[in-house]
Amino acid sequence: MTTKTITVSVTRFDPERDERPRLQSYDVPFQDDLVVLDALNWIKAHADGSVSYRWSCRMGICGSCGMNVNGEPKLGCSAFLRDYLPGPVVVEPLSNFPLIRDLVIDMSSFMEKLQWVKPWIIREETALGAGEHRQTNAQIDQYRQFSMCINCMLCYSACPVIPVAPDFVGPAAIALARRYDLDSRDQAGQERLRTITGSDAIWDCSFVGECSAVCPKGVDPAQAIQQAKFESTMGMLLPWGGR
Amino acid sequence: MSDPTRRGGAGVGRLDPNGAAARDGMPAASPSAAAPAQGRSASVPRAYPYRQPATWWLRRRGYFLYVVREATALPVAVWIVLFLVEVWRLRGGPSGYRPFTSPLFVGVSVVCLIAALWHSFTFLNLAGLIMRIPLGDRNVSARAIVVGAFAAFTVATIVVGALIVWGGV
Repeated sequence: MTTKTITVSVTRFDPERDERPRLQSYDVPFQDDLVVLDALNWIKAHADGSVSYRWSCRMGICGSCGMNVNGEPKLGCSAFLRDYLPGPVVVEPLSNFPLIRDLVIDMSSFMEKLQWVKPWIIREETALGAGEHRQTNAQIDQYRQFSMCINCMLCYSACPVIPVAPDFVGPAAIALARRYDLDSRDQAGQERLRTITGSDAIWDCSFVGECSAVCPKGVDPAQAIQQAKFESTMGMLLPWGGR
Repeated sequence: MSDPTRRGGAGVGRLDPNGAAARDGMPAASPSAAAPAQGRSASVPRAYPYRQPATWWLRRRGYFLYVVREATALPVAVWIVLFLVEVWRLRGGPSGYRPFTSPLFVGVSVVCLIAALWHSFTFLNLAGLIMRIPLGDRNVSARAIVVGAFAAFTVATIVVGALIVWGGV
């Protein structure tokens, strides 16, 4: 009995030997329940141990295995091979990032941008005995979807603004800024809003909207950015806007 | 994850015949183009920079629709220039009123109208996404905002149209 296979073409790039990235194809045994990450793991275990890529949880939570699958930013652990039959499946690194090796991109720019928006709760210190910071369900609903971001960077790969404005802080970082701006426990809303309404932030976005289309967790960064633009504008126009 | 480089492998993979660049539209890296990423020491292997191909807007339907949406501003700008020319002719009084009437102008106007309507449609459709209007401890729903925006647009169009047709404006 012959085993059914599917061709998986993977970007290969060795910075010490290659002038530029190239595609290398592998015939991978096909099963209905295999995902692209399984195929890469099979290649690594049985065909070519030098293939490099990031992965961790295998269940769409850690955000490590972002890659372009047939030109679409995807989590490798969530992209089923059966959706790409009869193949080939072209697996490439995320766009808009420097490539270090094979599917491994240099994410240092993203880490800097993320830190820049201070994605954590900022508030005046209170005594531990003062009690919990309670929230109603309605208050949680204000920011819930933005809190689902797993920093997988698929939105950065889908954003065509990044290549022309590399300093643009980008979709996920602004979505996370909104996540904390809209949190009733946070007290740095105006400070963070000033950060994301300054240069290299929300006004660099021309509302392509593909960041939201590719998000594997249902986060809508485009909404976060446009809402920040709207509220910033209202803040300038309305006398009570700067409250 | 164990160190993958220690696993070895038979290397049964095959190279694509053309050795196609895995990153679309990218030239071969020259040493100068392959400088180490900023802020990294020279000992770190060079990273291959990403360059966006000129045809990026054809790669996804969403990109294409975005470009179409943004491009609608161009015919509208052209029409406004023509309109300003007509207004300029009126500087000497009603005797200067010579509106464009050629079939070409009518054709351009139809294209401009379609572009303006498409731009308005996309803009109003996104209003629900953009606006966050608090209502008690919740927000007004996006659908209600979109319906309201289209209703206001329709009413404004009817009022302005009526003023032009019957109001002697």
